[in-house]
Amino acid sequence: MKCILNTGRTVPQGTSVEHKGSDNYRSVTSAGFLNPVDMMMLGIEDGDRVRLTTPAGYIVLTARPAEGVARAEIFVAIGPYANHIISSETHGTGMPDFKSQSVEIEPTEEPVKSVGELMEAIGGLRYDRT
Amino acid sequence: MIEHDVVCPFCGCLCDDLELVCEGGKIVKVQNGCALAESTFMNDVRLPSPIRRTESGWEDISYTEAIKETAEILQGADRPLLYGWSSTHGEAQSIGVHIAELIGAVIDNTSTVCHGPSILAIQEVGHPGCTLGQVKNRADVIIYWGCNPIEAHPRHMSRYTTYATGFFVPDAQRERTVIVVDTRRTDTAGIADEFVQIEHSGDYAVLSALRAIVRGKASVIPAKVAGVSKEQLIRIAEICKTAKFGAIFFGLGLTMSRGKYKNIRNAIELTDELNRHTKFVISPLRGHGNVYGSNEVFTWMTGYPFAVDFARGIAFYNPGETTAVDILRRGECDAALIVASDPGANFPRAAAAHLAKIPTVVIDPHVNATTALSRIHIPCTAAGIDAAGTAYRMDGVPIRLKKVIDRGYPDDAEILKKIYDRLNGGKEL
Repeated sequence: MKCILNTGRTVPQGTSVEHKGSDNYRSVTSAGFLNPVDMMMLGIEDGDRVRLTTPAGYIVLTARPAEGVARAEIFVAIGPYANHIISSETHGTGMPDFKSQSVEIEPTEEPVKSVGELMEAIGGLRYDRT
Repeated sequence: MIEHDVVCPFCGCLCDDLELVCEGGKIVKVQNGCALAESTFMNDVRLPSPIRRTESGWEDISYTEAIKETAEILQGADRPLLYGWSSTHGEAQSIGVHIAELIGAVIDNTSTVCHGPSILAIQEVGHPGCTLGQVKNRADVIIYWGCNPIEAHPRHMSRYTTYATGFFVPDAQRERTVIVVDTRRTDTAGIADEFVQIEHSGDYAVLSALRAIVRGKASVIPAKVAGVSKEQLIRIAEICKTAKFGAIFFGLGLTMSRGKYKNIRNAIELTDELNRHTKFVISPLRGHGNVYGSNEVFTWMTGYPFAVDFARGIAFYNPGETTAVDILRRGECDAALIVASDPGANFPRAAAAHLAKIPTVVIDPHVNATTALSRIHIPCTAAGIDAAGTAYRMDGVPIRLKKVIDRGYPDDAEILKKIYDRLNGGKEL
């Protein structure tokens, strides 16, 4: 299913933003909110996982229903999960398409990665001693 | 001990009426704050000491060693990038600009991925804004466009708009009309008197339609514009025209969607049209606590609010070229200093990935996603918790952040000054 990826702030994202290695941050920024009708079309339930693919790569998220999200749109709290698949093109403005990235969504059984795993996928090394 | 009138440094509201209960050098209770403030003060887990990435993992190092190595990295770089700055005070930001000028670096702040497009629009057509105090005391029509203050600025509505009692608006809930424009039916939309749900990337078209209606050209508007009925657009335009004082607040729904700064320009020009009928103002809802301050400090020191390139020996500004995401995605910078921000989490992957390929130093109180991409992370104070300093509220009002407790960390301004002094051959700033 083709959708537009929309990102934004949420209170749970804000309260865990200085705890990026926490399970809480991982859970709130890796949740993809979809219109319940779109979830039905995809044949998925609350808590099932979806794979979002763009030319920049793919990411696995946990699907959550949200009546307020329009059809053919997926809302994800700002953070490393959404950014893993957003193009770095800024169209000469400095600003990437954080709210208008086209994505292909499909159900998946793959697990949701941790923030540390996402950073290690791009050459980082997680620090988890705090 | 109770600390009164404490300023929360988290978001651009900089609420200055918090009461903190401190016991034994720790904050044990936060009163008057939102959930974000409570987490900021109560759940403040820091990196204990500077760390350096080695081939076998992370090792603790001393501040002296970390500062020396940071200075060497910056000194040896041809195209260093200094990025972040929005969660610290103006005192640290100003030293950052001095470092950039000294070594010919690019310095950019988080508005580049936030309200940078708003600034580009304001540079084109100006900013008819006002302080939040004016809005609180006068505005009877409030428009939230492409923003969700209940989630991002939880006390904005209770301190300044929907629920705030004002001098000329004594019964706020009855006398203020709240309009929310968004692609999503958010919690903020749920309490609006009028919710305008627009199709994705339809903002520019809807703003243009409203401008036409306000100008008396409703006849040219089709039955629907980006999913919004002509009847609703005419109703909204009428509410705005008959307002005593209207205030538009906009968020990243305008700056990040298709059209980017042109959306903001159109919104400002709608405000201009409305001022032919009544008083109307427009302002961005700024995210980080002192992101407005980073624009102020950069502007008064360099002439430009973000994305300033000193490679030519003078300040040069060209968003799209000298902006952090563009410099990183082109793989252009060969060293990075990241202060009080987290591009590892907040930049697109291709841009963040470059940070792991070059020597990157982070100066930030907390372990974040960028820590994993860095070579060195130096912990410091958090402005407004264990460091005092100046921050600018989202409406441009400077507010003094308080030092509430002492946790024994050095101020980031002090760390940056030591780096500057080393880069300057030992001569002090």
